[in-house]
Amino acid sequence: MTIGTFLLFQVELKAQSAFDSLNLKKAKHYFKTTIFLDSYTKANQKFPKQKASKISNDSIIDRRLGSFGLKQFNLGFYTPIYTRTYYNHDSTVYSNTHYLLTGNFVSVQPSFDSVNKPHTLLKYGLGFRIIQNSGKKGVWFIDLQPFTTTDVTTSTPNGYFRMANSFIYSHNFSSTFNMRFGITKSFMWGNRYYLPYLGLRWGKLDGINFSIQIPKNISLNIPISDKIRFSVFTKPQGGMYSFLNNDSLYYFHPEVTSFNFTHYEILGGIRLDFVLNKNFSGYIDAGTSTRSNITFYSLEKNNKRPDIPYKVYFYEKNLSPTGFLNFGVVWRFGKTKSYFNDKNMYDVFDINNVNSPGDVNSGPGNIEIPIKKSIKQSKLNLVDIQDLIDINDQ
Amino acid sequence: MKALKNIIILLTILLWLAPSKSMAQRDKIDELRASFIAKNIEFSSAESEKFWPIYNELQDKRKALKKNMRQSLKNLSPTASDKEAEEIITLENKSAAADAELTKTYNDKLKIVIGAKKLAKLKVLEEEFKLEVLKAAKEK
Repeated sequence: MTIGTFLLFQVELKAQSAFDSLNLKKAKHYFKTTIFLDSYTKANQKFPKQKASKISNDSIIDRRLGSFGLKQFNLGFYTPIYTRTYYNHDSTVYSNTHYLLTGNFVSVQPSFDSVNKPHTLLKYGLGFRIIQNSGKKGVWFIDLQPFTTTDVTTSTPNGYFRMANSFIYSHNFSSTFNMRFGITKSFMWGNRYYLPYLGLRWGKLDGINFSIQIPKNISLNIPISDKIRFSVFTKPQGGMYSFLNNDSLYYFHPEVTSFNFTHYEILGGIRLDFVLNKNFSGYIDAGTSTRSNITFYSLEKNNKRPDIPYKVYFYEKNLSPTGFLNFGVVWRFGKTKSYFNDKNMYDVFDINNVNSPGDVNSGPGNIEIPIKKSIKQSKLNLVDIQDLIDINDQ
Repeated sequence: MKALKNIIILLTILLWLAPSKSMAQRDKIDELRASFIAKNIEFSSAESEKFWPIYNELQDKRKALKKNMRQSLKNLSPTASDKEAEEIITLENKSAAADAELTKTYNDKLKIVIGAKKLAKLKVLEEEFKLEVLKAAKEK
């Protein structure tokens, strides 16, 4: 180390120490702790009655089920646990790494008219994600979402432990074009799938943009104002749950206490996100559920037969399109560092929200990304401008 | 319907716990300043991605300094002792020194990123922004 470098280093230390010596309270994170409640309802669909001459395994179970509808309640959260910020050697690139704790609790009630006691299926777990913002063009996203599924209709013990995860790299070619690629292990499509992740986005995140995030969603996002955002979307939704055999749906194997219930559907609709105040926002979306599919299969039985794949269904049903309604409230709290016009941080928020906690493809929108507005559009009062006036101004 | 009822109850509780309005409004100025600067200086894509994180960090530090000073003055009792008054003066001196050092440190950083010409323009715009905001407040 030369004497010049040593002296410069000392000057830098001194500059930092004057501010740091005041021990001021500063925000540690970029993310606010976010809790969201999401409620989803899909209309009940009666199964058509089969003719007596067409009796099959599926028609017997059809009759025992009677119909299918779905109610889903999701309580999810993410909270920053550690944020590391650092400069490169010449102090011109500011990078940050975010460590987030995530979690969710999902209660699913498939509605089968002919089943005596409605089933309540739970899915819950705590996860962990790391998001690395290089400060240049790239953002890395690593997500681990372990969870347990169980049917709590009766006290019979049942359930599975599973793990969903994602590994994605996001590259900002410019503020108006972004590309993502990676791999995701998800149960959202009704079973365990390892899927490639491919994302493309045209347009700015704080403006109108068209985003294709396969296998998560495709959306056209239009900010109406800083308080209201509108989008048109299509996305898959589904899951894989433990289901008790107390209704003898698996009638030819009554000794099996529980089996797997899977469902998936493709939702298409419109969504409105609205800001209630600094800490609260809400959203409502509605549209059509298409390609809806439900299956039952027993892993326990299938595993005993090495000649067949593990997911041979003993019942499968494709349903016709129907309407759905989804709404939610989001509570964000905590003090954060500023990130105005920081496109990489906007990308960090977006990748976190597209991959909502718990392998449930529904959650808070990008409300934390501010929409630009002019001074004339804003309501200002004297308290707002207090910091702008210096006592030495003449 | 049960889930909807629970959500409404929770939302009511959360709204009741919401922070004060003035706290939310102080962030609004930072947001407006950033919009104003972005509109009036043309940064290249490379400059923009480096400039904003550094500039935001500077604004956060400045805001923390001002908030600390304002809070200390607010807490100073009219019957404060000599020692307490002395502490406030010392704090102001330290804050002024820290602010001057922040200006120098961040000017150096920002000059590397956007160059001296754009940095000088930034200073002009910061002053213009103050005027614009004062004008807007006066009109209302």
